[in-house]
Amino acid sequence: MSLATNLKKMRYRYFPDHVVGEMLSKNWIDNAIPFAIMVVVVLVFGALLPNFYSASNLGILGRQYGELGLVVLAMTTVILVGGIDLSVGSNFALGNFLMLYCLNLAHLPVGVSALIVVAVCGGVGLINGLLVGYLRLRAFLTTLVTLIIVRAVVDLLLLEYAQDMSMSFYSSTLWDLMGLGGLGQIPFSFLVLAVIAVIGHIVLSRSGPGWRLLAIGGSRRSAYNMGLPVRRIVCSAYVVSGMLVGLAGILYAARLSGAGSDTGMGLEISALTAAILGGNSLGGGRGSVAKALMGALTVLVLTNGVLRLGLNSGSGPMVLGLALLFAVFIDVRWLKNRHKLLNKVYVSPTLMEMPEPRTTAEGPLTVNDRLSDVEVIALGEVESPEDVILDEDDYLYSGSRHGDIIRYAPPDYKTHEVYAHIGGSPLGMSFDKDGNLLVCVGGMGLYMVRKEDRSVHLVTDETNRSLFSVVDDSRLRLADDLDIAPDGKIYFSEATIRYEMHDWPVDALESRGNGRIICYDPKTRRTRTLIRNLVFPNGVCTSHDGKSVLFAESWGCRINRYWLEGPKKGQLEVLLDRLPGYPDNINRASDGTYWVAIMGMRSPALDLALRMPAFRRRMARRTAADQWLYPNLNIGCVVRFDDNGEILESLWDRKAANHPMITSMREHKGWLYLGGITNNRIGRIRLEGRDENWSGWSSYWGPNRGPNKGKGRPAA
Amino acid sequence: MTNALTRFTDRLMGRASAAVTVPALDGALKPNNVLEELPPGIAGEAPDNIVIWQGAPLWSQGKTLLTPDGPCADLGSPVTAIVANGTRVAVASGEHGLRLLDRDLRDVSPQWTQSVRNVTALAFAPDGALWFCSGSSSNAPDEWRRDLMEKNRSGLVGRADPESGDILIRAERLGYPNGLVIDPDGDIVVSEAWSSHLLKIPARGGAGEIVLDEIPGYPGRIVAREEGGYWLSIFAPRGQLIEFVLREPGYRKAMLREVAPEYWVAPAYRSGDSFMEPLQGGALKQMGILKPWAPTRSYGLVAELGPDFVPVRSFHSRAGGRRHGITSAAEVSDKLWLTSRGAGEVLTIDLGSKGESA
Repeated sequence: MSLATNLKKMRYRYFPDHVVGEMLSKNWIDNAIPFAIMVVVVLVFGALLPNFYSASNLGILGRQYGELGLVVLAMTTVILVGGIDLSVGSNFALGNFLMLYCLNLAHLPVGVSALIVVAVCGGVGLINGLLVGYLRLRAFLTTLVTLIIVRAVVDLLLLEYAQDMSMSFYSSTLWDLMGLGGLGQIPFSFLVLAVIAVIGHIVLSRSGPGWRLLAIGGSRRSAYNMGLPVRRIVCSAYVVSGMLVGLAGILYAARLSGAGSDTGMGLEISALTAAILGGNSLGGGRGSVAKALMGALTVLVLTNGVLRLGLNSGSGPMVLGLALLFAVFIDVRWLKNRHKLLNKVYVSPTLMEMPEPRTTAEGPLTVNDRLSDVEVIALGEVESPEDVILDEDDYLYSGSRHGDIIRYAPPDYKTHEVYAHIGGSPLGMSFDKDGNLLVCVGGMGLYMVRKEDRSVHLVTDETNRSLFSVVDDSRLRLADDLDIAPDGKIYFSEATIRYEMHDWPVDALESRGNGRIICYDPKTRRTRTLIRNLVFPNGVCTSHDGKSVLFAESWGCRINRYWLEGPKKGQLEVLLDRLPGYPDNINRASDGTYWVAIMGMRSPALDLALRMPAFRRRMARRTAADQWLYPNLNIGCVVRFDDNGEILESLWDRKAANHPMITSMREHKGWLYLGGITNNRIGRIRLEGRDENWSGWSSYWGPNRGPNKGKGRPAA
Repeated sequence: MTNALTRFTDRLMGRASAAVTVPALDGALKPNNVLEELPPGIAGEAPDNIVIWQGAPLWSQGKTLLTPDGPCADLGSPVTAIVANGTRVAVASGEHGLRLLDRDLRDVSPQWTQSVRNVTALAFAPDGALWFCSGSSSNAPDEWRRDLMEKNRSGLVGRADPESGDILIRAERLGYPNGLVIDPDGDIVVSEAWSSHLLKIPARGGAGEIVLDEIPGYPGRIVAREEGGYWLSIFAPRGQLIEFVLREPGYRKAMLREVAPEYWVAPAYRSGDSFMEPLQGGALKQMGILKPWAPTRSYGLVAELGPDFVPVRSFHSRAGGRRHGITSAAEVSDKLWLTSRGAGEVLTIDLGSKGESA
């Protein structure tokens, strides 16, 4: 084995390609670029400026951050609802002036003054809100007008009162605390921002009003059509914005205690830049408080840094403008391309070296036509019967892709009825001791249909989440097949945690260990994952002696044994490998051996591709899904093997005309019943020389259960 | 420089020239089921090249020539191309190279000035000259799939003088030329299979010109119709997966080395015989049915081209059908004779009643 091959193996073993796609599918990935920009800006200015990380500088920055952060939050609230608020700057100046007026000239207490300021600034927001929300004026123009008018009002007021205000000086403990103090090292304004941010985050991400706000921003028309009070919510977003700006103005007044004509000048540009740079979509509907805070920090460090570097006076706005342009560019490109990127990178194949398959030219696997005379049941009347099962009264059950459990009446199975409706895609089935039907339902979990009243009950639909998984893998996505141990514990397989029911064969293209074996204990009602990282674990069957569980790893073309008791308890071993096809459901045979369905056959071209993950990755990206190299699931066979992993016989249908595909089979009283997930029929065939009284249920729960009861030799 | 850079980034990203695209079967090539619905033809083992000789069909099959009445000559080595002109027949076969046969199929060849190998198609010019295509310098016509997967462009077109025995090579480094016809102006039109186009080579010399591009399959033999126009046999379909594999040297070479030819990801005359053949996602049977538009490695398609080489109508056998691998066509008295290598059948279409232009 050459070094290059070994390196390639290491790379695919240790580098988790699939995580890239999983991260892209998470919502928090929207924060990745803003976060990176923030970190870079902080690091760059931290290196350029002396004493950047000193306590005093951080204190000053923190105090300014509290004010800017509130204004950015105000801007974000409006952007999220699909609007824009340009009046934040002059509203901020108004808030600042009013606060100083109330304290210095009207001699009101701080608390009352603050309430008045918040109310007045909220009133400005209300004017915006009424114009934009109710009268449906353009947000941009309306708030531009408010910006000018409020600025003019502030200028007029300043002309009138500036002199008086500069003469008097208000002082109180609370006011000094607001302007200069804080909690230990943390400035007061920063604390205010933190509290508001936490509330804002909870409102936006966890509350009805927040969701409605985002819904309107995402699609105003849809929100209107579904009955949301669009106008009221838009209006209130502007009111909230005005109030937050007023709060920021108060903090500014406390810090500087001065009102000038340049207060809040250009603040709207800073706030807008910060909101967009943080990753809030300018179009509305996408964004968060965290994004606003990230953007605010970036902009604050940027503008402060440029100022402190002592560059020309025009450079500050220039940097801000460029940052805004960049942010808008990223916003547009990211929104447009994120899903494209996700589509391209989600399928992430890994290296899989397939062992040479056993021959089908001679020996027990020789291709034959023993299944060509299959009797067909319910042709065209059932779709996707992945598994079939029979009860003690010879009734036949199958699932269907419509989510039904269908029951066929003996002896000829010409009539059928919907036994129960579960939903999802019913896959593997098993009867418990009391005759209740347990079903693995793709997309839903493990369900039970009670015998007495046919009522459907959820058994389990989640397991423990694994520690380092990016996506939440606690939900069961594709529960596949189950079996019940003598102690009542249910062992079932989840074929893959990365694909949904409708594109399960794509998992073969990855051939990563995406599946797991899970155990549900009815006594404790707990579900826990037993074995992870299995390559499409599929059929599950408890051995005849009840001491171990056999399960198939489809894309691995092998059957494993997991010991439940005895000296090897808890160990996993390969029982049968190098199969020429992909094993599916495993079930007991009447003579102490096992049947396994081979749902599809391997092809040398695909086996070769499995060794070349980069080839498969490019194939997935560059060709349509219909064109991908797939496992050949159009033909299969049934194989019988024993507890020693020896193959005894195989049943084939070379043309696969009568019963095209096989995913399951059950032996029942001398017959073998066949199911196939892409079929529109069920098949059955008479077996020669088998025990005519043997049934699956009695083998598990009947008086003669256990080993040594069949004709075969005892389990090893 | 910019060009090389663009090509490199294209390859990296799978864009532009490196994008894996295949032209659609559309317009005059819109799929139908005409070939599949034909009555059973004359069964045979891989009939290959059919021509009209003295008013009746004559075709090659292995080492023999056949008429509808049965075998009429054994040529000693596998016949790879035949053509008839009046009473004369020209034949190319394995080791024997080019041969001219008379009315009784006796050898009347002159002494050729050089030997010609791997001949895939023949045509007589009005001046009596015999034009030929040699598909590849390294692979015999039966090994055409290997030639494609090796991405060879070693075919040539030449002219043989039946009187003097002079052989002149007219064009070289072609991507598997395997059909040619002389147009009314005397120019030679060659189907270059691996480029999926028809190339016109002026008789008087000069650069070639593409007359039909972006054929959705691999074009093969081409014959002229009496009333103008041509029949073009398209012996295998192009597919996105195959095009992709052709752009993947690592996989392609490993496949040539390790996988048996019948299981290659490569076009074929017939497919679906073994479960070890590659299968594509769209070809999974659902409810027991294979969609006729499923991706397939073999297909049956013969197209009628107008005098300007633009397709006019076509006859198809689609995915899951049997009459695949149409390697040649010949028309006589309102009947179109076809050889289907995939089905091993010589088929006839009654042109009087069938397949009006799409």
